[in-house]
Amino acid sequence: MSTVEAPSAEPAVEVADLATERLDLGYDGTRVVHALDLRLPPGRVTAIVGPNGCGKSTLLGALARVHGPQGGAVLLDGRDLATLRPRDAARRIGLLPQQAEAPDGLTVRDLVRYGRHPHQGLLRQWSPGDAAAVHRALAAADLLDLADRPLDTLSGGQRQRAWIAMVVAQETAVVLLDEPTSALDLGHQLEVLDLVHDLAARGRTVVLVLHDLSTACRHADHLVAMRAGRVVAEGPPADVVTPALVRELYGVEAQVLRDPTSGTPVVCPVRRVREG
Amino acid sequence: MTAAPATLASAPPGTWRLALRDRSLLVDRRAFVAAAVLAALVVAAVAAGLAIGTASVPLGRTLPAVVGVGEARDLLLVRQLRMPRIAAGLAVGAALGVAGVLLQTLARNRLATPDTVGLNDGATAFAVASVVAVSTTVTPSAFALVGSATAAALAIGLAGGTGHRGYRFLVVGLGVGAALGSVTNLVLARAPIDEANRAFPWTIGSLNSRSPAAVAVLAVALAVVLPVAVVLGRQLRLLRLADAVVTGLGQRVRRVRLAVVAVAVVAAGLSVAVAGPLGLVALVAPEIARKAAGPRVVPVVGSALAGALVVLLADLVGRTVAAPLELPAGLVTAVVGGPYLLWLLLTTRTRRMP
Repeated sequence: MSTVEAPSAEPAVEVADLATERLDLGYDGTRVVHALDLRLPPGRVTAIVGPNGCGKSTLLGALARVHGPQGGAVLLDGRDLATLRPRDAARRIGLLPQQAEAPDGLTVRDLVRYGRHPHQGLLRQWSPGDAAAVHRALAAADLLDLADRPLDTLSGGQRQRAWIAMVVAQETAVVLLDEPTSALDLGHQLEVLDLVHDLAARGRTVVLVLHDLSTACRHADHLVAMRAGRVVAEGPPADVVTPALVRELYGVEAQVLRDPTSGTPVVCPVRRVREG
Repeated sequence: MTAAPATLASAPPGTWRLALRDRSLLVDRRAFVAAAVLAALVVAAVAAGLAIGTASVPLGRTLPAVVGVGEARDLLLVRQLRMPRIAAGLAVGAALGVAGVLLQTLARNRLATPDTVGLNDGATAFAVASVVAVSTTVTPSAFALVGSATAAALAIGLAGGTGHRGYRFLVVGLGVGAALGSVTNLVLARAPIDEANRAFPWTIGSLNSRSPAAVAVLAVALAVVLPVAVVLGRQLRLLRLADAVVTGLGQRVRRVRLAVVAVAVVAAGLSVAVAGPLGLVALVAPEIARKAAGPRVVPVVGSALAGALVVLLADLVGRTVAAPLELPAGLVTAVVGGPYLLWLLLTTRTRRMP
């Protein structure tokens, strides 16, 4: 049976400085992101928002080397990400893409163990560090009791937390999550977003792609608003989100109110407006 | 890292950890037990295959005969007649099992096997063409390998890679297989009857009178390919997840895919070179292995053993069920595997692999 040491202290997270420099992204022929200059504030939660097809998921993928740049570069601590060995990059940057699926029958712990892959090798398949990291990740996602349950027996929120725990076990300075709350109900959304806050509180740089602008305002320290492959606004949500921005992003006339609890912007759509 | 006591690195539940200083291996217990059981069954099938036939040799006399002790009759039956075909069955079954589990994992689809994505058809077409059209100095085995590689290259090239859900690869592979299958038929139809007769054994899988040289080549290839596939095991487990996840975990997806395809092509091509196309073994064997080994692993060794078991049993059934008439093992696997394939198509969500 597991006689793991008591939840050992997490190794200090080295802060990572992730930025893009005149980054062009696209899929054969079509340019999706244009000459993007962006810096993600270290140790904070950044939310990338924008209409469907604005390039936000593509950007997130590029930050994790899923797509290579067509021009420009992603810089990690000033070094071109493309020059790093994949395994070294994966020790600094973790990614949870959308709609991740796991083989049937896999348990939460099996999945979280995958997060240790970049720290392992053919002759280094399981170290004390791996055991401790998996334990910490399960604890952080509040999944210790469910660790040996098959994923397909969990609720949507629990399953999503398990996937995030996999990325947490990777112990990267940067955590990228693509729409981690889509398809979850309100309670499960908060369950996941609380976990996101915990990660940032421990010094990790978290980048979320989010669909819902109000959710982004409520949970992010820094907002990046994209449209047609370019950044149209960037900064603290309270400063950035205005009726004019909502109109520019979505072609929607809206009122922007203040959340009575958090004071963050809440977007109330009024009507669709024709764009010229 | 400072030398932490090994006891602290408690292995995850269901695994054994073998450690030497900072080197460590993790063995999945269920997969290990499954492989051990399958290995025992293979040994039993080998013994049965050596003993049973139109003329049986009692089990007590079989083993001595294997090592060359016993009456002349027993020696003839066991050493001359049965041992070569059982060696062929072991090698062919193992090769098909490995090729099957690799292709299924690669395409993330249980229907992707050397039969369905055209590797076997390619190997058969080239082998037949070499018998009929090319001077027979070049061994059909080499052509089978080239044919299998050609089919793989065509399928992957036309599908634009093996990525995404593997559907495209699978569908294109079906088409490539059909095209190459018709090449086989065309060649056979156009050939003089004698040559067509000589080429015909290549179109149906059988362990009867197979070239010992081809078996030796396959055995050597397996000795290389199996360890490679076992070493790829960790990466194969990851390949079951979405490409973006795998990339995020620091694995070079394309490189692993390439290695997996190469191993599958060699294994499938050489198996056809030895025994012709044994239908559906590569579909059934990994399924047995996965059921036994559980969801944590991609059972490479288990699939090899299950493949050997299936082929040996099919050959045994083929030799005995209608004796003295002998049914080719390929016919038996097709008869048994066909309904199974149908059942699989009708019942399972093919998107996810267990």
